[in-house]
Amino acid sequence: MANDENYLTLQRVAARRSLGEGADVSTAAELMDTRHRAFSVSRIAAITVNTLTELTRLKVFYVLLVFALLLMGSSIFMVQFTFQQEFQILKDVSLGAMSIFTSLLAIVATARLIPQDIEDRTVYTILAKPVPRLEYLLGKIAGVLLLLAISTLVMSAVFVLVLYTREEAVLHATIRHMSAGPRGQLDDAIRAVHASAFSIDMVPGIVIIYLKACLLAALTMFVSTFATTNIFTIVVMAFVYFIGHMQATAREYWLQAHSSGVLTRIFLALVALFFPDLQAFNLVDDIVAATAISLGLFFKTALLGIFYTTIYTLLAAVVFYGKEL
Amino acid sequence: MIRVLLVFLALLVLGALKLPVERDLAVLHRQEHFRGVEFNLDLREKLGQLGFIAALSGFRAIVADGLFIQANVAWERTEWGRVLLLFQHVTTLQPRVVMFWDMAAWHMAWNASVAAMNDKSQPRLALRVKAQREYFALGKDFLERGIKNNPDRYNLYEALARLYKEKYKDHERAAEFYVKAAAFPDAPSYERRFSVYALSYCEGREREAYERLRQLYDKGPQERLPTLITRLKFLEEKLGIPQAQRIPDKEG
Amino acid sequence: MTEPAIAVRGLTKIFPVPLHRQTIVAVRGLDLRVEPGEVYGLLGPNGSGKSTTLKIILGLVSPTRGRTEIFGRDSRLVESRVAVGFLPENPYFYKYLTGEETLRFFGRLCGLRGARLRERINELLDLVGLTKARRQRLGTYSKGMLQRIGLAQALIHYPRLLVLDEPTAGVDPAGSREIRDLICDLRNRGITVLLSSHLLAQAQEICDRVGILADGVMVREGRLEELIAIENQTELILENASGTLLNEIEGLAAKSNARVIDRRKSTTTLERLFLEATKKRRSTNGE
Repeated sequence: MANDENYLTLQRVAARRSLGEGADVSTAAELMDTRHRAFSVSRIAAITVNTLTELTRLKVFYVLLVFALLLMGSSIFMVQFTFQQEFQILKDVSLGAMSIFTSLLAIVATARLIPQDIEDRTVYTILAKPVPRLEYLLGKIAGVLLLLAISTLVMSAVFVLVLYTREEAVLHATIRHMSAGPRGQLDDAIRAVHASAFSIDMVPGIVIIYLKACLLAALTMFVSTFATTNIFTIVVMAFVYFIGHMQATAREYWLQAHSSGVLTRIFLALVALFFPDLQAFNLVDDIVAATAISLGLFFKTALLGIFYTTIYTLLAAVVFYGKEL
Repeated sequence: MIRVLLVFLALLVLGALKLPVERDLAVLHRQEHFRGVEFNLDLREKLGQLGFIAALSGFRAIVADGLFIQANVAWERTEWGRVLLLFQHVTTLQPRVVMFWDMAAWHMAWNASVAAMNDKSQPRLALRVKAQREYFALGKDFLERGIKNNPDRYNLYEALARLYKEKYKDHERAAEFYVKAAAFPDAPSYERRFSVYALSYCEGREREAYERLRQLYDKGPQERLPTLITRLKFLEEKLGIPQAQRIPDKEG
Repeated sequence: MTEPAIAVRGLTKIFPVPLHRQTIVAVRGLDLRVEPGEVYGLLGPNGSGKSTTLKIILGLVSPTRGRTEIFGRDSRLVESRVAVGFLPENPYFYKYLTGEETLRFFGRLCGLRGARLRERINELLDLVGLTKARRQRLGTYSKGMLQRIGLAQALIHYPRLLVLDEPTAGVDPAGSREIRDLICDLRNRGITVLLSSHLLAQAQEICDRVGILADGVMVREGRLEELIAIENQTELILENASGTLLNEIEGLAAKSNARVIDRRKSTTTLERLFLEATKKRRSTNGE
């Protein structure tokens, strides 16, 4: 333990260096006082980076590894099919896995964030600093969204790489096969291979998958602010995930005046109103089947996802503000 | 307590606001051929509970692929009823994958029909022919429904044309569908040729066929494939085209 | 009158117990003033409302009735915390961060950046004696070390007020001594300290004023010396006094109204003895 003299010297030296000769500790304190900003991106950034660091130490990356292996593995089993069938299955499995993994990651990673901080009392140390609760919340959710973005990018990269490798292999085989025949047929064949492999249209589909995960993360954060245990949050979110995929059906049944009982209609109304339509974000299946998504439709869908994410984050903030710590 | 009510109210208001937006979006999606699959009781009955939940959760494509693999196994075992059933599920789940409709029709109209025709357990020819024609109809039905779900792609028009040509020997309808297929910008080069070949078999349309074949021939060496030349010569004979206008016998 | 560092007026906090009719009254009509530059000890048994009061002062919990202010600013405002550093009871920081990273995180939360932050981190690590352990993860720190890094993060933004919840609970005698010395040192530099403790002997040593809470109510408050002084007794400590002198003094007392209650050798404290005895061992272990 440094003795008093050292501490005093250091304080004075530091104060003098930053404030000029003759300054002392209380002046430094006053300077700190006046520098408080009502909204600070750097505060949020500090919490974001911290959250990201915390999350990357989870088994998250093992999850990614499993995904990559799943991709490679499924490709090897498909050799007995035609290349169209092989690519179809490869794309379906990869994008399906990407969808479920990002959704799962979003829920599991977010569910424990705030409750963990409260249980460990780290939240006291943080909120005892001049940090508004909203910034704390924003920092946390930003950390999760960043994690999801990185995961999606990594998974996409692996997916494209595998697909590209297989595509090249099939192309070489095709060219070898058909080099003797007429030019037109070779071109047709090459075009067929390219059409079955990666198409840039899949990118909007992947972005929509990411936005769906963001929505789920924000909703999980909202649920976690009033949930009593971690398990509760996860169970509720599993329920929401399932019902959310049925929301479209419930909504249509409710809005088209069917002669169902009053209780059924009330139930359907509740589902339609309180649950997000998650099927709206399952567009990859059709994109993979080679339907390109128009820009307008993509933006509308993306906007819906962003809207949900924002609203759920705000609701989480409202609940968190009133929460007794 | 007040906060809880506030949140509940906010969710309700949010729900009311988003409802029309979601509805419109769903309609737009369907217009652009997305979300063509209804998740209703009908589907649940077809797929069973597990399949339904898997399909619901965003695994629709994977479930379809799994069923497709099963259908292939059933085909290897020549269990035609099961092949038909599985392909019905597959095409219900993935109506936008043309390959599935194509394969379904192929299994029915080309494979099952042949098996029915050669069925040793059925001594009466008339009944074998009847079974064969039923399989043709099943294949045609798959392709027609496939086209309804995929009016923007050439593949199934071509498949249907081939079905008419090879199985029904209806060259006129074959020509009609080859033309439809050829109309797509990304259609392979042979579609146009095939449509004219089919036409060349039609009674009473020889003149038209001849003209179009000649047009193709004049386009250049890439179109002067053996079949084209054969059909052209045949029509030249049939129509009695003067020697001066005929194509040379041997290509250089 | 100068602005108090902390002003608590009529503070009441009632916790509803979910699903039960009763409620818990943690704090009842509490009035408290902490003047700038003093060390104030908030004492009381467990469950007396000490922690709750501290949390309300820091804006972590909202009062049912009444008001708390820090340097004139309402505690519920975020800005009021610019001048406050807090060390919670049993603080748990992120185990995977190193000491240095922890301070950097909290520094950035307070708006410190770049070279200034780096310097401040070095200063504080030196102050609390953790320079050697700066790159070790907090998961490897002892309780005493955790407490010290906790103090460092509380001080990172040059606070004028320090709030410490049980700062020496569970810390070994040497570490506890260091923390108490540090508190005195900080007071000498003009920093106000509010601490809560149930280790009364230690509180007695460093506090200028104390308040005793029981069941959410302040039962005694005031300057320490005044509170614990026994009015009619005087202590007289002599060095090198001979037996004769002592007997003479006793005789004088007997002649007046006074009475000699006790006569014995002055004692040092067990703590000093302990620290003296273990000092050599500790310095060879290079703590």
